[in-house]
Amino acid sequence: MSRSLWRQASSEAKLLLIGIPVAIWTLLPIYHLVLFALSPRGQAVTGKLWPDHPTLDNFAVVFHQEHHYLLHFWKQLWNSVLIAVAAGAITLCIATAAAFAISRLRVRGGRTIMNLALFTYFIPAAFLAVPMYKTMGNYGLLNSQWALILAMVTIATPYAIWVLKQASDKLPLELDEAARIDGATPLQLFRLVYLPLMLPSMVAVGTYALLLAWNEYLYAFLLLSDDRSTTLGVALGSFLSADDSPWELLMATGLLYALPPAAIYYAFKRYMVSGLTAGAVKS
Amino acid sequence: MSSTLALDSAAKPGRQSAPAGPTRRKLSPWQAWGIVLIAPYVLVFAVFVLYPVAYGLWLARHPASYVHLFDDPVFVRTVVNTLVFLIIGINLKMLVALFLSGFFVRTRWWIRWLSVLFILPWAVPSIPTILSLRFMLNPEWGVINTTIFRLTGADGPNWLNNPQLALFLAILVHIWKSLPFWTLILVAGRLAIPGEMYEAASVDGATTWQKFRFITWPSLQTLYLTSSILSMIWTLGDFNSVYLLTGGGPADQTHVLATLGLRYLRLDLVDLSMATVVCALPFVLPLVYFMMKRLSR
Amino acid sequence: MAAVSFREVEKSFGATKVIHGIGFDIADGEFTVLVGPSGCGKSTLLRMLAGLEEISGGTIAIDGHVVNDIESKDRDIAMVFQSYALYPHMTVADNMGFSLRLRKADPALTKERVGHAAKILNLVPYLARYPRELSGGQRQRVAMGRAIVRDPKVFLFDEPLSNLDAKLRVAMRAEIKALHQRLKTTTVYVTHDQVEAMTMADRIVVMQDGRIEQIGTPLELYDHPANLFVAQFIGSPAMNVVTGTIRRSADDAWVDADGGGRWPLGSSASGSDGTRVAYGVRPSDLGVAAGARSIPAEVIVVEPTGAETELLVRVGTNEIVVVVHGRPSAEPGATVPLTVDPNAIHLFDPTSGQTLS
Repeated sequence: MSRSLWRQASSEAKLLLIGIPVAIWTLLPIYHLVLFALSPRGQAVTGKLWPDHPTLDNFAVVFHQEHHYLLHFWKQLWNSVLIAVAAGAITLCIATAAAFAISRLRVRGGRTIMNLALFTYFIPAAFLAVPMYKTMGNYGLLNSQWALILAMVTIATPYAIWVLKQASDKLPLELDEAARIDGATPLQLFRLVYLPLMLPSMVAVGTYALLLAWNEYLYAFLLLSDDRSTTLGVALGSFLSADDSPWELLMATGLLYALPPAAIYYAFKRYMVSGLTAGAVKS
Repeated sequence: MSSTLALDSAAKPGRQSAPAGPTRRKLSPWQAWGIVLIAPYVLVFAVFVLYPVAYGLWLARHPASYVHLFDDPVFVRTVVNTLVFLIIGINLKMLVALFLSGFFVRTRWWIRWLSVLFILPWAVPSIPTILSLRFMLNPEWGVINTTIFRLTGADGPNWLNNPQLALFLAILVHIWKSLPFWTLILVAGRLAIPGEMYEAASVDGATTWQKFRFITWPSLQTLYLTSSILSMIWTLGDFNSVYLLTGGGPADQTHVLATLGLRYLRLDLVDLSMATVVCALPFVLPLVYFMMKRLSR
Repeated sequence: MAAVSFREVEKSFGATKVIHGIGFDIADGEFTVLVGPSGCGKSTLLRMLAGLEEISGGTIAIDGHVVNDIESKDRDIAMVFQSYALYPHMTVADNMGFSLRLRKADPALTKERVGHAAKILNLVPYLARYPRELSGGQRQRVAMGRAIVRDPKVFLFDEPLSNLDAKLRVAMRAEIKALHQRLKTTTVYVTHDQVEAMTMADRIVVMQDGRIEQIGTPLELYDHPANLFVAQFIGSPAMNVVTGTIRRSADDAWVDADGGGRWPLGSSASGSDGTRVAYGVRPSDLGVAAGARSIPAEVIVVEPTGAETELLVRVGTNEIVVVVHGRPSAEPGATVPLTVDPNAIHLFDPTSGQTLS
């Protein structure tokens, strides 16, 4: 083998030496999930690497809610969707308005509010969970889906405002001035100039809030205890406590629960990556 | 009263709008809308952050709570666990992220495909994946032990029943989930380094290690530090990795500060739950302060 | 109709006063240029006129109405920014018609006005394009088109040509001037480039440190500068200035420059023997020819520009710039005789900088 070919091959081999373990490490639990979901009842625990007779029966059982753990599957799925979309939409509205007020209108105290928001973002949500639980109790919102929606909005908005403000600061101030001289009122400036230019960041922010709410466990678990009003994630968690849990059904449900965020993330990938790394890497 | 566009003094040096004069009483439409548009967030903040925090601190006001807390062996164990979790978890994760970031900046087609898959642990919800891992670790029929049995004929350990193993596994789960995010951040950091510097170094005869030491690392170290600090804060708050894998067990031996609050809540000891959080604050607040100094301009 | 007047206008940023009691008038239809070095306050003054900055003191009036408390959009002005400030997400046509759309004008009317402006500016083939698809000069024209569609009482320009390359700048200068001649709208134009000021203005306002140094037509400022600052700011290359002492004899008067050299004075020059002066003469008013009152100068650099030649010479310790027509035979190191046009000598007080009449 010629020298350069050998060098190419060996560097490729070195990269594969890293790449293959990384791939295995990343995909192992997910593969296992798929494995269980496709295995017939009672078969998965035999420890095979691929089921002898892969089947979609588990999914059928889940969709027909034919197990007492799955009685409210569709309702719970719907709850997850509703809460995620509501949290995403409300976060987007509040954050877009706040970022506009802070970045373009230069509202008094804007800097302080931005700092308060940043502070909220950095404090781990898990620490806020129990106070939030007691607070929602005090407000009489426990077991109402609004409790979870509002809690998610509270957690997601600070980062959303931060991302939107960063993006907004990149727009030259002369645009606002030109619009004002053209005769724009604040609302016209917001609607006709600001929003169209912020669209990519808004997609990133909305997606971020949506995924955050969909993936949330602790808050959902604390704030929604009724089987009918809780999310699919919490329902999955409650499978665990029993001894006779149908593992394959659990994993099938889990796969269904995991698919939407993966799909949404990949659909909006280019918005997400730029949006999320922007705040961290200072240019 | 003429309308005002207050200009950012940092963006345009020398341009600052004069403060409102003493005779000003009417608000310009621009100022009015500013207040209207920021009000929703201020409301959310007051009702769902300020009040709960104040309420939580109020619940944690009795010194007796802290005495009870420190008397509880579970609490002491938890603090130790948390420290172990942090020290091993952060350093291992960030070092691997640093290493992998060098891998993922390459432009081979299969590496790019791999980086797309690599995000998966972070993008998908924790419950299904951690549960999947939990089943893998089942001592009787989980894949890991059955594979061990098939290869060696011996029984694998009861993974989650051994406190040390269980904690270590929780750390691994945490790394599994959060590694992609930090790798992405460091990849972005690497991409910000101009390629010409590496070319110049090649011409000067630098080895791979020298390039890392003299070009990559100096450019990345601030980002690495900031990421580590932020990661510390978020790891302190990682509830899912421990709770969904071990539930804090066996016998409350693998709790971390994030999960301990829930335990006390279950035992109807709300004041202890709050006190736990308060105890975590001396760790968390300086880190938060550091991050805010870095990010707010 | 649309005259503009400034009365005792002041501006402070916090405790720092940047504009000190400025007052002058702009007649209807006049093209007035505010010129001065960076930080002199010209842009600030323009922005106060536009309503983008608060007025700390004094009044500004457009068409007889004081506009201090009136919002930008109600002042009936249009502004062209240095960075064009085009809306990136709108086509050229939408950019130009934006102000009408904001007032909910009839779409047919908008289309007509936009089309009319586009025709004047040669933008018709670009109406459906986006700003990112246009060159700098085209974007500048779109910005002007946006202003024209407004049909305002006053046009404001804030250093619009600074972002263009030299050749384009010259072309755009002529276009803006032609536009003004056609539309006859009152125009206030800010620039730091005195060549732009000289070529485009009906009247120039020279500013420094928030104060007016002089107002006048370009030639007034060129021929009769009120002080040293204006004398050296207007005209390129800048006026040569040497400090020295007036000397008088029975039949002659001259200035002994501190750095050396005997600079002739005209017969009309006043000032007694021993008076300290700053002696100014423009490069184009110096010549290379032998004569009774010529000054020996050592040539340092010769810069031929084709029709003219620029010479950097040294008289004593002073470096003097000379611009002559044609190509005199002068080599670096040689000594040439400098002659001064006696009618083109400017004398200034060396401490205050004021012209000595």
